[in-house]
Amino acid sequence: MKKKYLNKWSFLTLIVIVIIIIPLLSIFLKLFSGPGETWQHITETVLIEYTMNSIWLIIGCTIISLFLGVTSAWIVSRYKIPFQNTIEWMLILPLAIPSYITAYAYAGIFDYGGTLELLSKSLGFSIVKIDIMNIFGLIFVLSFSLFPYVYVSARAVFLFQSNRLIDASKVLGASELKTFFKIALPIARPAIVGGVFLVLMEVLNDYGAAYYYGVSTFTTGIFRTWFSLQEPKTAIYLSAILLLFVFILIYLERLQRGKKSYANNSKSTFKLAKLPIKKSEKYLLFGFVSLPIILGFILPVLQLIYWSLLTYSDVLNTSFLTTSLQSLLIAVLTAVITVFFALMILYFPKWNNSKLLKNSSKIAILGYAIPGAVIALGVMVTTIVFDKWLINTMTKLFNLNISLLLNGTLIILVYAYLIRFIAVGFNPIEASQLKINKNLSESSKLLGKNNLMSFFKIELPLLKTGIFSALILVFVDVMKELPLTLILKPYNINTLAVKAYEYASDEQVMEASIPSLFIIATGILPIILLNKIILKR
Amino acid sequence: MKTIKYIIILSVLFFSCKTDKKEVKKQKDNEVTVYTHRHYPVDQKLFAKFEEKTGIKVNVVNAKANELMQKMKTEGKHSKADVLITVDAGRLNQAKEDGLLQSISSEKLNIQVPSHLRDVDNQWFALTKRARVVIYAKDRVKPEQLSTYAALTDEKWHKKILVRSSNNIYNQSLMASIIAHEGVEGATKWANKIVKNMARTPKGNDRDQAKAVVAGDGDIAIVNTYYIGKLLNSKNAEEVKAGKGVGVFFPNQKDRGTHVNISGAGVTKYAPNKENAIKFIEFLSDVAAQKVYAQVNYEYPVNPAVAPSELLKSWGEFKEDKLILSDLGKYNKQAVIVFDKAGWK
Repeated sequence: MKKKYLNKWSFLTLIVIVIIIIPLLSIFLKLFSGPGETWQHITETVLIEYTMNSIWLIIGCTIISLFLGVTSAWIVSRYKIPFQNTIEWMLILPLAIPSYITAYAYAGIFDYGGTLELLSKSLGFSIVKIDIMNIFGLIFVLSFSLFPYVYVSARAVFLFQSNRLIDASKVLGASELKTFFKIALPIARPAIVGGVFLVLMEVLNDYGAAYYYGVSTFTTGIFRTWFSLQEPKTAIYLSAILLLFVFILIYLERLQRGKKSYANNSKSTFKLAKLPIKKSEKYLLFGFVSLPIILGFILPVLQLIYWSLLTYSDVLNTSFLTTSLQSLLIAVLTAVITVFFALMILYFPKWNNSKLLKNSSKIAILGYAIPGAVIALGVMVTTIVFDKWLINTMTKLFNLNISLLLNGTLIILVYAYLIRFIAVGFNPIEASQLKINKNLSESSKLLGKNNLMSFFKIELPLLKTGIFSALILVFVDVMKELPLTLILKPYNINTLAVKAYEYASDEQVMEASIPSLFIIATGILPIILLNKIILKR
Repeated sequence: MKTIKYIIILSVLFFSCKTDKKEVKKQKDNEVTVYTHRHYPVDQKLFAKFEEKTGIKVNVVNAKANELMQKMKTEGKHSKADVLITVDAGRLNQAKEDGLLQSISSEKLNIQVPSHLRDVDNQWFALTKRARVVIYAKDRVKPEQLSTYAALTDEKWHKKILVRSSNNIYNQSLMASIIAHEGVEGATKWANKIVKNMARTPKGNDRDQAKAVVAGDGDIAIVNTYYIGKLLNSKNAEEVKAGKGVGVFFPNQKDRGTHVNISGAGVTKYAPNKENAIKFIEFLSDVAAQKVYAQVNYEYPVNPAVAPSELLKSWGEFKEDKLILSDLGKYNKQAVIVFDKAGWK
């Protein structure tokens, strides 16, 4: 077979990558003009604090989310505990709550006159005051709302990839502990690190929770520099440093994943026998895995329900219904488009022979690591240039007077979501793709089918689970997204997250509970579905 | 299956784009597009009233002032915005300096908005006022112990003062006013001493500061009057209790007066519907609308013909700092630098 160096797929790859990274590039290029004049002031006063707080957050959230995610995944895949099935999907539920909402809810619980105080008063206990609004509280809130990323990836491996080896290890007489550390953990490591990576990206992107808890992080610093110090240049410089840091994280993640391949020819239907344990141990383990569910989901939701009972009469009306519908439609639309792009990023480079393009396509999924507000501004800057060019040509060529075509429309918003969440869609699809035996598509090509044909006939059906997971994850993320939506949403459209934010920023945290509960409700169903999909494959 | 799904979705996408464009064309004739940082139900009610009265459709874009201004800058002369509304004078002045607003002349506005509450070049006009006051725990502090913002640096308040983060624009404006009155050096000294007197690291919002006073975390706090009104009218009994537990003190009554901030509006430089924009601002500052602001939202009206609500009256009349409000914008950046240096988080 004659191999051309570049083909039409190279061209298409390039287009897709350019579409996605141009807005980021437009921000990144400003890096070369250096920081603004307040840079020195920042390095002298607050930079160390921003950096240290972010590092502590990263360390704290890594440890706690690793511990919660891996242990709970191990327990539910190895032992028969009461309410097994329910527990399994409930462990994913914390992801349905935007972490800033969890933060508000916890502040409400531990507050003066908060739920804890009311409860202890009515039960006759003396009041215990716990101050949650500090960096430890923030680590707690973020870890408990984000650990499911680790849980989901670890469990999938325990159940479907390492199951035979675990079984073999047990048969050969290795202890449970030894099996866990020597077999299960090393095999699951790439998946677990991938999960932790997602947690960290969310931690670095968090603005709402850190801001409210009074913890100055790199991200709150970017906002402060941009808007309070009025130095976009320096803010972009800070973003670029953050980006560099994220690059390093990504590199480390790829490095640890190495060249390992987990392709498995036969679809593993082998089910690991659950270990028999004593009744008392059963309840102990049950209590253990219930804890993250209670703290990460049930408690904050109860607090929100309590608030919503106090305020529903002011919040629920027809415009609220419209907002909910708009939110749902936007999220569905974005999910589908994002998955479409994720597939293109995954496959187009495979079908061309340029090594450079193959390697650089991953750049396109960087958006997830960049604060939403930065992406929003990047998108705006780029599309305005396009719009202005369009206006000029139209006036010159046809003497037509048109206004901004793209800006302020839904297209721009969805475009920005796409950049932000393409990684969320890409990762599960790539994960399922890695498991497809390469021989399959190659045989198909040898038999004379072209790339697209082989893709639709062979790979697409095998990717089904990955694609569904991607759709669901993107959907849930879009429902929760805030800073980017605030900047780019068209005026005749509103989303639930924006509604919740509007209330909260006016210090009407209680009123924010109803839109928050709606966001959570729309997240729960897809998450249960996602769980079913993972189990089925 | 999948292909069909994609086709459906793509067609939905195209369809939605088309209707978008159509709508824009249809509405072009009689509308006003408002970029606003205010997102209170009372605003929505007033906008609806304006639509009813004039037949002009109001399009609303809600976001933080900074983001809206960034948006306007990027959109340039193609911006659809007609009116910019922010919740502080600093941002309005920033918008003016960035060339985002235009001067307008309106007899009505000149009467309805006192001169110190509007821009010297008539580029923006205040709609409502809020005072940044000192609140105190009624059971522990006597109002006689309080006097000025400067007196808060006294050692008797060591570990007793509660105040929110310096990320907040109300704190930045207060600091800007202190810089305007006492210079950067004076302001830096003040900030350093306040930080030493803080009962805890700044966190939470203004309501949280009031609750912390009642909870005994500190004795006094610097907050906006608006939020005390909100607390007292909360649906949560505990919040009402917190609101009742604190007294409101207006600092600096014997000299320059209490720091006030405004929310206000200006007509944008490239407003496609300038006439409607002027009508809109006139409407919001006329007696009827100002009464609604005063009654429903616990804000002080700017229109001299309208009295504040009963609750606000119960805190007593006060002398307000008549500093030119554009100074708040001028010194905003400096204020943030002072905060950073003092370690006021």
